[in-house]
This record gives sequence, structure tokens and C-alpha cells, in this order.
Amino acid sequence: MRVLCLAVMLFAVSLVNASAGVEGSYGHGVTLPEVTPVSAIFDAPQNYVGKRVLIEGMIVDVCTSRGCWIFISGDRPYEKIRVKVTDGEIVFPVAAQGHLAQVEGIVQELRRSKQDVINWKRHLAEERGEEFDPSTVTGPEVTYRLRGLGAVIR
Amino acid sequence: MNWSKLNRALHRDIGYLCCGLTLIYAISGVAVNHVDSWNPSYRLTRITSNIGSLTQLPRQEHVPLILERVGEARTLKNVFPSAPEELTLFVEGNTIKVDLVTGETVQDRYVPRRFLYELNFLHLNHPKKLWTWCADIYAVGLAVLALTGLFVLRGRLGLVGRGGVLTAIGAAIPLFFLWLYL
Repeated sequence: MRVLCLAVMLFAVSLVNASAGVEGSYGHGVTLPEVTPVSAIFDAPQNYVGKRVLIEGMIVDVCTSRGCWIFISGDRPYEKIRVKVTDGEIVFPVAAQGHLAQVEGIVQELRRSKQDVINWKRHLAEERGEEFDPSTVTGPEVTYRLRGLGAVIR
Repeated sequence: MNWSKLNRALHRDIGYLCCGLTLIYAISGVAVNHVDSWNPSYRLTRITSNIGSLTQLPRQEHVPLILERVGEARTLKNVFPSAPEELTLFVEGNTIKVDLVTGETVQDRYVPRRFLYELNFLHLNHPKKLWTWCADIYAVGLAVLALTGLFVLRGRLGLVGRGGVLTAIGAAIPLFFLWLYL
């Protein structure tokens, strides 16, 4: 009985002291040997849409509610690409921001009407608790993102 | 030992073994069910301030000055120039976005929720490796627990009586929601 109590206590203590580390493999991890620069995807997206690629960069933003998307910085200044994962399949922790990562996924093209862009940006602003001005949206948009399948965060 | 005694012993002992994990999955389950309303793993705080324009200063002085002006002494993880006049600093537990021209600063601070962070860490299977097996064995244990539970009592209170009615209600609940939403 004493041994059992000790084991339960040790488990509880280990839970409380568990590391808040975010490094590790997420989803299916990464399998491709070669990294595709984010700039190459943005420069010639039609060459990549529907294809599986591996990108790497800094995690510069994370979905703070579901952990269902991240932004990865590109190889050119100010450039970043969104990686969307299926809700619950991969959950990126908020603390992953600022870490370097390799992410594997399928390049997707998203064509949104002006109204869809407004709805989408309103949703993002609500997620962040920010205000959104619909007049900042001037028309339909085409964006490119990765449907994330796996990642390794360092 | 006859069949009934074996069933009860299995139900009792697997119940004891599954108790801790059931509590973990139950508490974390409720927490992650409501991600639309809150972040179940982190406590998030946003702080806005103005630290003054930094454009007159050399670029190499920006980062230490920003950290000093917002009173941030924790480890700097990385820096990302998010726009020509905007810098994002990633510190342990804090993301600081600064408009270098206006000095407008937004800090998004995050602290892991004590205990819930760890429960969600396990529930969402972040550890993977051996924990995946542990969680699989637990799931099998739950199935055995459910099946042996059906036969703990016999007679009027058992599966042919009250127990049967309750089991049917329990099975009908998911079927009802499948009918409603699918």
C-alpha cells in the first residue's frame, strides 16, 4: 500500500514538474530530405500547388485558441507562410513562437471573394481580441498556405 | 474462482488502475472541449504600451532597448523583423511586437496553466513514444471495464433489468446525436 501511495505521489509530482518544452515531433513528423525555400513557393506557386514540400524557418505566430495554425518565416525579409493543420490532429503550443521548425505539408491555393476575405479577417481579429475594419479589404484575394502534415520543432 | 467472481475482480482491479488516467482525460477533456472560449493550456495576457519611437537609434540598439523599456529580463529566444518598421521579439513567455516609428508596443504574455497544461500535454498525446502505448492500453482497459461492468450485478438490478435500461439509454445518447448532426 505504501509503495502504491508513493507511486501515485511521484506521478503527481512529475506532472506538476513536467517540462513546458515544445521541442519535438508533431503529427507525422518530417520525411522529405530536401527543404523548399518559402520564397520559391511564393515566386512560382503554380509549380507547388498540390505538392508535398518541406519548409523551414522560425515560428512567428501561433493560433492562440486551438493551436491549429502557425506562421513560418521565409528566407526573404518580412515573408511568412501560414501552415494550417486539422483541428485537434496537431496542436501547436503557444510557446512554440520564436522556435525554429521544419514543417512538411501540401501547398494549397485559397481563392476568397471579398466577402470571404472580410469574414476570414474578422474571425482572425476575434481570435486575437483585436478590432477589425472591413474597409481595409479592397477585393478578392488569392493566398497560398501549407496543409500541415507534420513538423519538428527545435 | 467462478466466472462471476473473476468478472468482478477484473472490474474492480482495472477500475483502480484506470482511475488516475480517467481523471486526467476527464478534466482535460472538459478543458479542451471549450477552446473557443479559452486557451486550456496557457493563461494569456495582452499588454499595450508606448515605448517611444526608435527610428533615430542604430538598429543594433533596438532589441536591448525594447527589452529594457518593457521591463523584460527573461531569455530572448529570437527576433523577427515582421515589417520594414516593425520588430517582433520572442522571449520565454512573451511575444513583443513593436512599431519602431510610433513606439506602439503589444506584449502577448503566456504562462502555462499549472496542472492543466500537464494534463492536456498527456491528453493531446504530445509526448508520443511510450505514452501512445500507455494511452492505447488504457483505452483497452476502459473497454474491458465497460464490458465487465455490465455483468457485475445479476437479476433485477443487472443487465436483464435496471442495468439493461440504463445501458440502452447510454447507447442511445450518441446515436441520438449522430441522428441529429450527421
